[in-house]
Amino acid sequence: MTKFMRRALETPKELAWLAAKAALDSAEMKLDQIDGAVLGSAPDAFDGMHMKGEYLADGCGGWRKPYLRCYVGGGTGVYAVAQGWFQVASGLFDTALVVCEEKMSTCQPHPQAAFISIFDPFTEQPLKPNLLWIFALEQNRYMQTHHITLEEIARVSVKNKRNALGHPSAQLGAEITVKDVLASEVMAWPVHRLMVSPTSDGAAAVVLAAGDVARRLTSKPVWIQGVGWCLDTAYWTNRDLYYPEYVEKAAWMAYRMAGVKEPRREINIAEPYDPFAYKELHHLEGLQLAPKGQAPKLLADGVFDRDGDLPVTPSGGLLGVGNPIAAAGTMKICELFWQLRGEAGRRQVPGKPERGVAQAWGDLMQVGTVVVVGTSEPKH
Amino acid sequence: MAGTQLRHIAKWRGEIPIESLYTAGIGGQRFFKALKEKGKLVGTRCRRCHQVFVPSRQFCERCFVELTEEVRAQPDGVIKSFSYAYIDHNGGRLKHPVASALVQLEGATTVMLHRLLEVKDLSRVSIGSRVKAVIKPKGKRIGSILDIEGFRLVE
Ligand SMILES: [Zn+2]
Repeated sequence: MTKFMRRALETPKELAWLAAKAALDSAEMKLDQIDGAVLGSAPDAFDGMHMKGEYLADGCGGWRKPYLRCYVGGGTGVYAVAQGWFQVASGLFDTALVVCEEKMSTCQPHPQAAFISIFDPFTEQPLKPNLLWIFALEQNRYMQTHHITLEEIARVSVKNKRNALGHPSAQLGAEITVKDVLASEVMAWPVHRLMVSPTSDGAAAVVLAAGDVARRLTSKPVWIQGVGWCLDTAYWTNRDLYYPEYVEKAAWMAYRMAGVKEPRREINIAEPYDPFAYKELHHLEGLQLAPKGQAPKLLADGVFDRDGDLPVTPSGGLLGVGNPIAAAGTMKICELFWQLRGEAGRRQVPGKPERGVAQAWGDLMQVGTVVVVGTSEPKH
Repeated sequence: MAGTQLRHIAKWRGEIPIESLYTAGIGGQRFFKALKEKGKLVGTRCRRCHQVFVPSRQFCERCFVELTEEVRAQPDGVIKSFSYAYIDHNGGRLKHPVASALVQLEGATTVMLHRLLEVKDLSRVSIGSRVKAVIKPKGKRIGSILDIEGFRLVE
């Protein structure tokens, strides 16, 4: 993966190439050993390129290859890995290169403006809503339903920004306190600035291979054991925002495929999507890794620390590493890859984890995408 | 519904209020810097497949290797195809029709799009015609593809 940064000099193509090349180099492979390429990237407006799928093709290693772009909003970075997995697991290809890229600094004055037209043009756009409104309304409902305090939410920012200090690609690693978070400006109550991930430029990539090919390439392959995704209603006001049903459905799809019956016992490490501090907790509950309303308590008890019982977002996440939308989801898959191989350096969680889950979220805040990876070959 | 009059139904005008700020990138800035500062056209050469990309690029899409060898292309080139446009992008009639061409510069293996200058009569142009880049004077160059005014036919 590339460094995640505020303003990249590189073009989107160059960012994609840097990440794709790094993935190939780490697998000691050349582009001609890749059968098909997959790009994941969020709205065209961010990079300022219509049809950015074809624009980015060369950077993704798509030259004269079966190549496609997939897109499920913020959920893209994890979904794209599932999309690549389809191609290999179906037997169509031996290898696939999955690249996710986003260059948000292109979008001026702020990428937020690109989102106005995701709202209904008659019932919502005239109110000039901002994406932050949804998150604020959702966080408030989550907090009120379970009597969660702002301090409990703020702990996510503290943990993730601290974890990111060990990540060479991180944009916003920092040692901060709950007090700092609560003292930061309120963007839309109850969302404070330090509870929000930054806008970023960056790319991340992975190489997927069929079992027999993977065994030839490396002595310790990381296996995709299950994939899942789910879309809830686009009438977002009609969802009960206190709980992400769509994440639960996506997670169970992936867990069933992976043979996981008790996620809380069988998942050793989790990388849930954390563009906002409360979302990590919200998503952990959807992922069945905490009972409803209990994630804040487990966090306070240290369960989700890097050396806790269930390390959560050891990468530093979107809050710490950064949030170039699609690339951020793939960064989470990269983190699980390094953690399961014991190659995460300063970020390495203890205890030789054998199975991890990565999750992303997006579209009109109603898509959940989940990938389960592990050190043992799946039976399906 | 067929026959529905737009003026009888509710309607709302909206926009996506953004602008895009592009960078030429690691590869592209070589080209634009050389063009602005020296009025020269530079590319990069792939040591593996020997493609010479003009304008310069950072990597070869075929070999996936970094392109570090800078090559200078000549302002002279050859027309690979051409056209004459009478309509603008909104479908309006252009007051001054625009002649465009695909040009391969001497020293490049790639082909670029640009304008053909002073072409009033397409019968003078053919595929294979030789052209030369008209580069703006230094004081007017800003590091844009328009620092090349266009290509003029070489008689
Ligand atoms: Zn080459």
